Amino acid sequence: MPVIPALLTHAGGRPSVEALEARLLAGQTLLADTPEHVLEVVDVLNSYGVVLDAYSKNLIFQAERQFLNPFPVFRFLDGDLSPAKIWRHLNGDRINFEYAEYCMKAMLWHGTGGLDAYLDSEPFAANCTAIIRHKTGRDPLLALLHPLFPNFLPEAIRAAATTHALGQFWRVMSDLFLDLARAEADGTVRNIAEVVAFIKAGLVNAAANPITYGVQLGGERFWVLPPEAGLTFLVDVAVPYVEAVFLRGMPFLGTVSFNAQAQQISPDQAQFAYGALYADPLPTMGAGIPPSLLMQDMYRHLPERLHALYRQRSRGEGDVRVKICMSFQKSMFCVTNAAIDGTFPHALGTAVPAEQAANRAYARAWAERLAVARTDCLDPFGS
Amino acid sequence: MLSLLLLIPFLGAFVLLLSPSNPPPGRMRAIAITTLALQLLWSLRVLLAFDPHQGGMQLQDSLSWVPMIGLDYRLGIDGLSLPLVLMNGALTLVSAVCTRDISQRPRIYFALLLLISGAVNGAFLAENLLLFFLFYELELIPLWLLISIWGGTERAYAATKFLIFTAISGVLILGAFLGLALFTGTVDFSLTPIVSERLSMGSQLVLLVSLLIGFGIKIPLVPFHTWLPDAHTQASSPVSVLLAGVLLKLGTYGLLRFCLGLFPQAWALVAPWLAIWAAVSVLYGSLAAIAQRDMKRMVAYSSVGHMGMILLAAAAATPVSLLGAVFQMVSHGLISALLFLLVGIVYRKTGTRDLEVLRGLLNPERGLPFTGTLMILGVMASAGLPGMAGFISEFLVFRGSIGVFPLATLLCMLGSGLTAVYFLLLVNRAYFGRMAITPPSEDPSADARLDIRLSGVALRETLPALGISLAVVGLGLVPAGLGWLSETTATAMAELPALLLAASHGGLG
Repeated sequence: MPVIPALLTHAGGRPSVEALEARLLAGQTLLADTPEHVLEVVDVLNSYGVVLDAYSKNLIFQAERQFLNPFPVFRFLDGDLSPAKIWRHLNGDRINFEYAEYCMKAMLWHGTGGLDAYLDSEPFAANCTAIIRHKTGRDPLLALLHPLFPNFLPEAIRAAATTHALGQFWRVMSDLFLDLARAEADGTVRNIAEVVAFIKAGLVNAAANPITYGVQLGGERFWVLPPEAGLTFLVDVAVPYVEAVFLRGMPFLGTVSFNAQAQQISPDQAQFAYGALYADPLPTMGAGIPPSLLMQDMYRHLPERLHALYRQRSRGEGDVRVKICMSFQKSMFCVTNAAIDGTFPHALGTAVPAEQAANRAYARAWAERLAVARTDCLDPFGS
Repeated sequence: MLSLLLLIPFLGAFVLLLSPSNPPPGRMRAIAITTLALQLLWSLRVLLAFDPHQGGMQLQDSLSWVPMIGLDYRLGIDGLSLPLVLMNGALTLVSAVCTRDISQRPRIYFALLLLISGAVNGAFLAENLLLFFLFYELELIPLWLLISIWGGTERAYAATKFLIFTAISGVLILGAFLGLALFTGTVDFSLTPIVSERLSMGSQLVLLVSLLIGFGIKIPLVPFHTWLPDAHTQASSPVSVLLAGVLLKLGTYGLLRFCLGLFPQAWALVAPWLAIWAAVSVLYGSLAAIAQRDMKRMVAYSSVGHMGMILLAAAAATPVSLLGAVFQMVSHGLISALLFLLVGIVYRKTGTRDLEVLRGLLNPERGLPFTGTLMILGVMASAGLPGMAGFISEFLVFRGSIGVFPLATLLCMLGSGLTAVYFLLLVNRAYFGRMAITPPSEDPSADARLDIRLSGVALRETLPALGISLAVVGLGLVPAGLGWLSETTATAMAELPALLLAASHGGLG
């Protein structure tokens, strides 16, 4: 038999925990710095920025205008119920907002950080009671539902709060990624280190942005996430988002199935490793599998420069979504890199031994989680 | 009219061999394809002229050739040979179309392909035993060359094995034909069952057994099958298509035309044993297929199983079972050709057919999704799922045979069920799961990170397989057309023993 497979398979690098830790502590980027990587990361984040803009607007629309709607049939239409819009929606000529919902559910389910803690707090329960009392007074269906299933409406409000918070988070990220594309076009960002620094600066700038959420019910305004809860962008939403979507994720039905009874899925949610940084770009492209929806959306808004690069590689248009997924993983490693850089307990250049030890422990914890992720995309030739 | 079915391919072969300049391979392929398309068109013309209500031979061409030895050039066609002639035309054309990038001796390759197609037509149409034998032998050497020149690494072994087995088959068949002349004391080699009626039952049995073994090697039936998996594994895909789709049918055609047709009384005597032989062949073929790890060997063993069902149908010799035998010949020809084509595509793209290595080829973007889809269709048809060719043929075989040989039929049904087992194993291993084309290493997580870069399958590469798939579904949904062609002939053949019995008791007329 001819020995073709060696040419047809490519094994990327697999850096060790120590190597990753050393790079993080030295302030080096995880992703190798090559012109092609810069192009891939900037352009894929550019299309991601456009998609996140749509996701963000829709999530905020859903949380504010479809609040506690038991049958939110038109929630993806952003309030535009014209026949043309409905036709385009039914025809599949649209952004797949289902992916945004998938991310929201991942955040809600994994429930880490300050937002989740607030959703289980007394003040939140009091807000819910007020909202439900007001809502059930006007809505007979909810009035019937609430006494039968008293946890249903509070849980729906938690989902709405997470939806709104994710919408606010993606608003910032969308603008940041589109700014990054402009900065690269201007020549102010030229390499991977500058890409990571740009994202880090954006995250740090927005770190203290308040996360609030109020709804208008019958002319009366109710707070779901009030300003006094003190929720902020970075710690309470961005970090839980990274944990839920980049790292943990959910084992979805795909071309590879998991047997939960055989403990192929860990019973400990914290051990989950199905997030974006762990996703296998190859089998995830089947119809209906959540990340493939994101790749489809990004494909609609792919910059021509990146599209031309993809056309030159392997199957051209045929496997473009696999290539987008691979580039997307590279860009997500940059975002993670920026988030880690921005959240070191102490400055990297510190001379205090205790601070150095704390930084080392922090870098070690991240390196251990990243060592089993798809780090094969980080090499210069891992395209 | 029928002579053109021989003339067209032979003429094409001569044009290729004798063309003075050295044309590029593409032009030779074009000449071969044009010739085969003409042959197929003429086969369709014969189909239009064919009267399905006649049970006997029609559209006959006749010429006294060497009368001293009883060799007459007599061609005729009936409901048994017409579908096979059509299939020969279609599948040889498919073989030529599928032959791409041939750099080694393209002139001889395409000439041999045409020669085989003409010889097979001759064998299906011959109304004279010696003429049949001539054509039967004529396809042997070209096929041997096709395997031994354009085959895989073990091609010399496989080709020689094929040659030895088939040569013995030829000797046995020739011996039986000559024995018939010797025992009857005539040199009349025309195809008529009345001849054997003059022989004692002992002589009939000797001749019949000789023919049975001769054709049993060609079909092949267990235990004479061992040449087939080797030949298939080493042959290139287009040759495998020809071998499985057309050449094996010479064996089953001979079984029905010469064993059952010439010796109906002796046939009735040995039929119960033949039914058991059929069941053994079906079960052995199916069980052996389960154990294979080479996709092509698995399909080859499935052929052994499915061809056994034709022996069962022939043994039962009822009108329905014989019609089922014709259906099974056509559907096996189409389905196995389809499977070999698809395995060929997988092999060309991945460099392996090993079921321990291949995984996840249905991957929609990096794998071979359309090839996989057709493969699933092909294995469903082979396993006899309703709506496809395999169902109607197996149903007819079982329906026609169960009243005569209930136990053997039930065992064959079991074998048919095993088809689903081994083909699901094939599909599950090669097409589902995380994609892989290299042997699993000791580190599963490293395997799960391998990026695989198969080149895509162009539409033109899949078109022949798509065409055959449509035929498989078409025959499954509208089987009446083939039934209409072959029913009268099948009924006439089933009535032969009764007819002869009546004749021997002076009951005719």
